[in-house]
Amino acid sequence: MATAGGVRRGVRTGARTGIRAGIRTRATASAAVLALALAGCSSTGGKRAEEERERAGGRAAVDTPRWTFAMVTHSGDGDTYWDIVRSGAEQAAVKDNVEFVYSHDKEAGRQAQLVQTAIDRKVDGLIVTLAKPEAMDAVVREAVRAGIPVVTINSGQEESAGLGALAHIGQDESVAGEAVGGELNERGHDKALCVVHEQGNVGHEERCDGVREAFDGEVENLYVDGTNMPSVESSVEAELQSDRDVDTVVTLGAPFAATAVRAVERAGSDAEVNTFDLNAQVAAGLRDGTIGFAVDQQPYLQGYEAVDLLWLHRYNGNMLGGGRPVLTGPQLVTGEDAADLEKYTERGTR
Amino acid sequence: MTATPAALAKDTAARGPVARRLSARPELGAMVGAVAVLVFFALAADGFLRPAGLGTVLYAASTIGIMAVPVALLMIGGEFDLSAGVMVTSSALVSSMFSYQMTANTWAGVAVSLLVTLAIGFFNGWTLTRTRLPSFIITLGTFLMLTGLNLGLTKLIGGTVSTRAIGDMEGFASARAVFASDITVGGFQLRITIVWWLALVAAATWILLRTRAGNWIFATGGNADAARAVGVPVDRVRVGLYMGVALAAWISGQHLLFSYDVVQSGEGVGNELIYIAAAVIGGCLLTGGHGSAAGAAVGALIFGMTSKGIVYAQWDPNWFKFFLGAMLLLATLLNAWIRKRAEASS
Amino acid sequence: MNGTSTAAAGSPTALVELAGVGKRYGNATALEGVSLAVRPGEVVCVLGDNGAGKSTLIKIISGLHRHDGGAFRIDGEEVRLASPREALDRGIATVYQDLAVVPLMPVWRNFFLGSEPVTGRGPLRRLDTAAMRRTTREALLRMGIDLRDVDQPIGTLSGGERQSVAIARAVHFGARVIVLDEPTAALGVKQARVVLRYVAAARDQGLGVVLVTHNPHHAHLVGDRFVLLRRGSMAGSHAREEIALDELTRQMAGGSDLDRLGHELARTRPSGPDRGAP
Repeated sequence: MATAGGVRRGVRTGARTGIRAGIRTRATASAAVLALALAGCSSTGGKRAEEERERAGGRAAVDTPRWTFAMVTHSGDGDTYWDIVRSGAEQAAVKDNVEFVYSHDKEAGRQAQLVQTAIDRKVDGLIVTLAKPEAMDAVVREAVRAGIPVVTINSGQEESAGLGALAHIGQDESVAGEAVGGELNERGHDKALCVVHEQGNVGHEERCDGVREAFDGEVENLYVDGTNMPSVESSVEAELQSDRDVDTVVTLGAPFAATAVRAVERAGSDAEVNTFDLNAQVAAGLRDGTIGFAVDQQPYLQGYEAVDLLWLHRYNGNMLGGGRPVLTGPQLVTGEDAADLEKYTERGTR
Repeated sequence: MTATPAALAKDTAARGPVARRLSARPELGAMVGAVAVLVFFALAADGFLRPAGLGTVLYAASTIGIMAVPVALLMIGGEFDLSAGVMVTSSALVSSMFSYQMTANTWAGVAVSLLVTLAIGFFNGWTLTRTRLPSFIITLGTFLMLTGLNLGLTKLIGGTVSTRAIGDMEGFASARAVFASDITVGGFQLRITIVWWLALVAAATWILLRTRAGNWIFATGGNADAARAVGVPVDRVRVGLYMGVALAAWISGQHLLFSYDVVQSGEGVGNELIYIAAAVIGGCLLTGGHGSAAGAAVGALIFGMTSKGIVYAQWDPNWFKFFLGAMLLLATLLNAWIRKRAEASS
Repeated sequence: MNGTSTAAAGSPTALVELAGVGKRYGNATALEGVSLAVRPGEVVCVLGDNGAGKSTLIKIISGLHRHDGGAFRIDGEEVRLASPREALDRGIATVYQDLAVVPLMPVWRNFFLGSEPVTGRGPLRRLDTAAMRRTTREALLRMGIDLRDVDQPIGTLSGGERQSVAIARAVHFGARVIVLDEPTAALGVKQARVVLRYVAAARDQGLGVVLVTHNPHHAHLVGDRFVLLRRGSMAGSHAREEIALDELTRQMAGGSDLDRLGHELARTRPSGPDRGAP
């Protein structure tokens, strides 16, 4: 371990020396436990405070009454994408002096129940996603009847206006897919593999279909189990081994891009990896060229704009979009944008 | 009445007919199934039998198998662990976050993770032996708590729902070599997880069949009261088994971390059932007292072959889960049938 | 079947001796003032109906529970056993009716369960399987049990054979006292006979036997002394010479209580029952 440490001397040399000296001698169990105890009392507190300053920067810039806005999404647990949406919403809530309540459930029935509880609490504004519009239909109508202004985000742009929502902020998945397809044409690819990590997700299908629409070459869908990374990797690898014609892999979520890069390397394929959405790893990949491009739908903007728009509506009766969806994407990002992006992805706002 | 065994003379005469002994092996049904699946995909899927293809299949099998083996031991001991899937993620998260937050050598994170993961296993076992509640309930509780802790603590400490990259930190390269590298065996590139997997199978088989602890595991699962009455430390066996699962979760967790550098906090949910299914396909009785480590390994292999075979064969993946379910039922029926025959012929 | 045993009785120190032993679970008294002594080559039968305190007595002798009144002596030394392991170490082996074995495990693994011999050292320390198989066969043969395959799961043996294996196991591991919990209860006539033969064989090898049963017929075949329990206390203790099977059966079935019941019932029925509840 000493030799490897010598070869790979990292960036954070200064702060480390004290601990490293202890670890170096022998990473004994007791020392590790002691260190853990230290971590428990010192590091987290300061770090957290610092983080919160960074994220929910500033304080209320307006003196409107403290309204309560609720956001109910179809996010699963621990989803990076929705974490960014939420960050954006929280940032806007701080500035607009809004009490922001977030809840999520990936199952449509339970998501509807969450919306119902928001209605029962008589919130002043409601932000919902319509990943499964049929299941949300009744509760959203009820919210509208109860006089709660509703803004839909992310998914459901077709249904949004019909249910009585004031606006829809999101990305047209088909348009995003088409943007990817177009870029793949630019880059001269012939056969793309579209990696779907959530079987049965309509948005995912639309993305792949969009790619298929605009792309001159062939597109094949590969379904993988998104909660099991090694399985994602081996499935992509298997596919690349069995189909040598694939010259680009398109992942539908940022965390899967880095996994696809590994799979491409192992399969000995020279396919280029491109992805929907961003995270720190994708930004790093863009910088060092292992990932070709990413199509960002700017989740931060979806959260931020939704809260801000509801505030504007409450305060000033404003509304954006004129009954048509307000699009936050697709924004195409490549290696050139990587340096800036990395800063933002690190702090969890892109 | 005294005659303590001292001599080591072979006593082949005491052994029963070979055929019957073979048919009583718990993994036999699974092996038949594995051969059938292999032949099937070898014919149906192009590239399945190529070295690279087999390497991929074995990798998929090993990531399941590393966990399925200790889970099988636990099931032989008569208990379940529903927290096994998320425990892998917990282990990876602890390792990553400790290293990053403390800016420590990644090996320190690996060591802390080992302690924390073993502590989780100990908690499972200890709670079980103290409360005498069904392990289904206790580990369901641990499963939910860990899922929540994974998400909550990761967000609280790191600010996002995935961990920070630790690829540029000291010790990462050597840890990756141990947990997530490739080795070349006779021209084949194989993942190191396959080595871990085989080593675990060998160790578990040795423990089960050739040590006192193994005898105690069978007895604890087969008839805990009888075992206790003849002086088997039943509670210690159970705690040990849960810690065995934790150890494997630690290995899997470190593999996850050092393969992908970044860990998603929501991962791992649902995998516990795959481990249990692999153990059952491999001939473990749900009620305990019967099964083998090799069987669980074969069960994992069947999973690996099926999940990747469908990709190689370029089939509609909508049917994947159906295939697995059917396979599980068939394997269980086959096992039951073989065991009945074995018992009838004795 | 008799002769040797009566000669042994009375002379040497008792292997196991209970003097006025009692046990309470909270407020409930499970056992009170029970006394008995087992000497080498002697069979002491403990008789009693369900709930008479037989299983509590067994648990105390086998170390599962501690007594909280009176004295418990092993080889004349007063003890309080902490665990079944300690009882085993002191030479007391208990064979339970249905807990005796692990059905799915092979006979030889069952035979050595809890006391497995090992060979080799360090990480190569392992079960001495060859010796285990051989010893199992030999020990069973000595008790007159001939199994063609010690690798078969013990669950495939008959009930009598299973009990016999358990007895042979106790004998092999140097038990000086065997406690048998209802060894014949679930067995047919033929199987019960087999088990009783092994009890006699154990006795003849010089072991002390505590035979717990509610069947006076079986007890009278092998017993040297009969201790009767009723509702947690002693209802009598008789040497074999002092009591005939009829009297034993009558006392076992309820004794004077039963006589009274007989008189009561006599008004509606011509004769009282001659058999107690099972």
